[in-house]
Amino acid sequence: MFFFYLLSGLFLGWSLGANDTGNIFGPAIETRMLKFKSAALIASIFITLGAVFEGSGPSGTLGKLGSVDALGGAFTVALAAGLAIFLIVRTRIPVSTSQTIVGSIIAWNVFSGRLTDYRSLLTIAASWVVAFVLSGVIAALLFYIVRPLVNRSKLHLLRQDLVVRFGLIVVGAFGAYSLGANNIANVVGVFVPVSPFKDILIGSHFVLTGVQQLYLLGALSVVVGIYTYSHKVMRTVGKDLFQLSPITALIALLAEAIVLFLFASQGLYNLLLSLGLPTIPLVPVSSTQVIVGAVVGIGLAKGGKNIRYNILGKISLAWVTAPVLAFLISFATLFVMQNVFELKVQQEANYIFDRNSITKIVEDGFDSAALSTVNGRSFKTEHDIYNELNEEHLLTRNEIMKIIKIAELYPLKIELVKLNNTGMHRRFTEAQLQVLKRYEGKTYQHKWQFKRELTKHNEFKRYAAPANEREKNHNRMLDGKLEVLYRSFSDLDGKN
Amino acid sequence: MALLLKTTRFVESQIDNFLDMVSDSATTFQLAIQDYLAGRIDQFEERLAQIRELEHRADDLRVSIERFLYERTLIPENRGDVLAILENTDEVIDNIKDSLVQFSIEMPEIPPELNDLWIQTTKASVAAVEQLVFAVRSFFRDLAAVNNYIHKVYFFEREADQIGEKLRRKIFGMKIELSRKSQLRFFAIHIEKISDAAQDVCDRLAIYTIKRQL
Repeated sequence: MFFFYLLSGLFLGWSLGANDTGNIFGPAIETRMLKFKSAALIASIFITLGAVFEGSGPSGTLGKLGSVDALGGAFTVALAAGLAIFLIVRTRIPVSTSQTIVGSIIAWNVFSGRLTDYRSLLTIAASWVVAFVLSGVIAALLFYIVRPLVNRSKLHLLRQDLVVRFGLIVVGAFGAYSLGANNIANVVGVFVPVSPFKDILIGSHFVLTGVQQLYLLGALSVVVGIYTYSHKVMRTVGKDLFQLSPITALIALLAEAIVLFLFASQGLYNLLLSLGLPTIPLVPVSSTQVIVGAVVGIGLAKGGKNIRYNILGKISLAWVTAPVLAFLISFATLFVMQNVFELKVQQEANYIFDRNSITKIVEDGFDSAALSTVNGRSFKTEHDIYNELNEEHLLTRNEIMKIIKIAELYPLKIELVKLNNTGMHRRFTEAQLQVLKRYEGKTYQHKWQFKRELTKHNEFKRYAAPANEREKNHNRMLDGKLEVLYRSFSDLDGKN
Repeated sequence: MALLLKTTRFVESQIDNFLDMVSDSATTFQLAIQDYLAGRIDQFEERLAQIRELEHRADDLRVSIERFLYERTLIPENRGDVLAILENTDEVIDNIKDSLVQFSIEMPEIPPELNDLWIQTTKASVAAVEQLVFAVRSFFRDLAAVNNYIHKVYFFEREADQIGEKLRRKIFGMKIELSRKSQLRFFAIHIEKISDAAQDVCDRLAIYTIKRQL
């Protein structure tokens, strides 16, 4: 059954390969600096390396699909996202894969009565503008810097061609590596906790972990996407929107790499924090929006006459259409899967306002008077609670969502063997694992109960009121780790 | 990548060799005309043989460069322009050779009072070709300098036209048979045409230079 569920993840991987490779190698191929076969080979190698060796990072979460709590739901959501990407890519327009996945997840939220955080929707909408403008400005600046250098260069035309070609390969390979590292968790991350793969010892030193094997499988699906369908969007990015030359193609790719590195790299963010330097805010940018912004930036820097605004309009429209389409497909498919195929697409959720939860809610600073209508009651969906609490108009939506998180019943049974089986124990320090060992066999009804226990220890220390960016980041990283623990120790099925 | 670097260096040297041949042909052409006017016909024929050899080798080199550029997909963006430049520059050598071949076949009798103007026209045409070679070299290595050389080519082409016109007026002012006048005019025009060919290459080169600029 696992492999059947995994199929939709692999389909999503395939559509990721078809959609995102054009962002990295489209300009190089369309300017004929690289042959499709060579580009596909380089992309395949580096995406696989990125996925296997740096997939989702050492302390990251398991990807966006992680919020979907039943495997059948994750299967459907991934299938819908993959299908939406595939349908848009068929029209030769590149879309943002992660935003399409979010569209699909929101459908699951609505279907299963969960509340959606509107801020995440706002962030997506903002990133359409931010990523586009940011990369456009950087590409235009790069263009203004490079133009006099190239025009006054004494490098032989053929040697210049070689340098540009080399640059396109290096930046492309770097982009492919990042694509593999950052996106593989979105493709198969959700299957990590139920993966049957066991660690394989290769030689006497090298271990290919179960997670790495799963990521390798995901990466292979991306590779198939590259070879079979990625040529569809390459022309749009590299030629149709604005006729790039090899040098401007390299500038566009460099701008893309800079924007993704500066504004979307958790690694750089952590490095700056550890060095005590000011950080650059992390923006949820999509490589598709960044490359399109870069191409338009260069087009405008060259006078703006040759940009094909009708293509730009189509692309912008697709950025809105893709998540909406994913939402619709996802919602319809979830309905069919649950009612026709009787597939379990969500865990049965329970929310209880007993003495424990009410005490915690009050401890967290909420007024108990606002809880009078729910006190002592239990609920099946977040929407029901929201409707009850919202009638009083005493709480904001954000506050209600926090209260719901506290009331949520999420049975946990601490068994370290589950972490070891999936290789997730590598995300924790030895000291943290020692702390976890003390809780072996214990059970909890709410996530916050387990969190409260853990955060008493220095190894899981959380800043109650983070004063600076370093402390905020520490909390974010810790929350990521806690999320991994919740998922790994989940006893929602009661099978443990 | 190492292989590509090797190929790149090889093609670079081939292009340089090709341009050296164009430059050598122009210099040899001037020497051949001086030999002819001085009556050193054997030496003239030797120069013609050298130019034939240069023209033949330049043709082979051009074909070889074209093949490398296409087979190894080098400079995909500028490939067509570079090939057009090389082909048109090759035509300059063809013009030089054709002119000397006509001298060798018809052996026109040139009155000594025309020698000075004849040599001046030749020098202006040869200077245009030499500046063209500089311009083409700059197109590959120093884009900013191309326009200066193109300007020089236009200057020497005009110079060749003006002196050539003087030469033709002088020919037709002489008391010789009309058929001879006509024959000498044909040779004078042939020399002017060499600088015209150089100018044609420059017309294209000017556009390709704009295309190459970012």
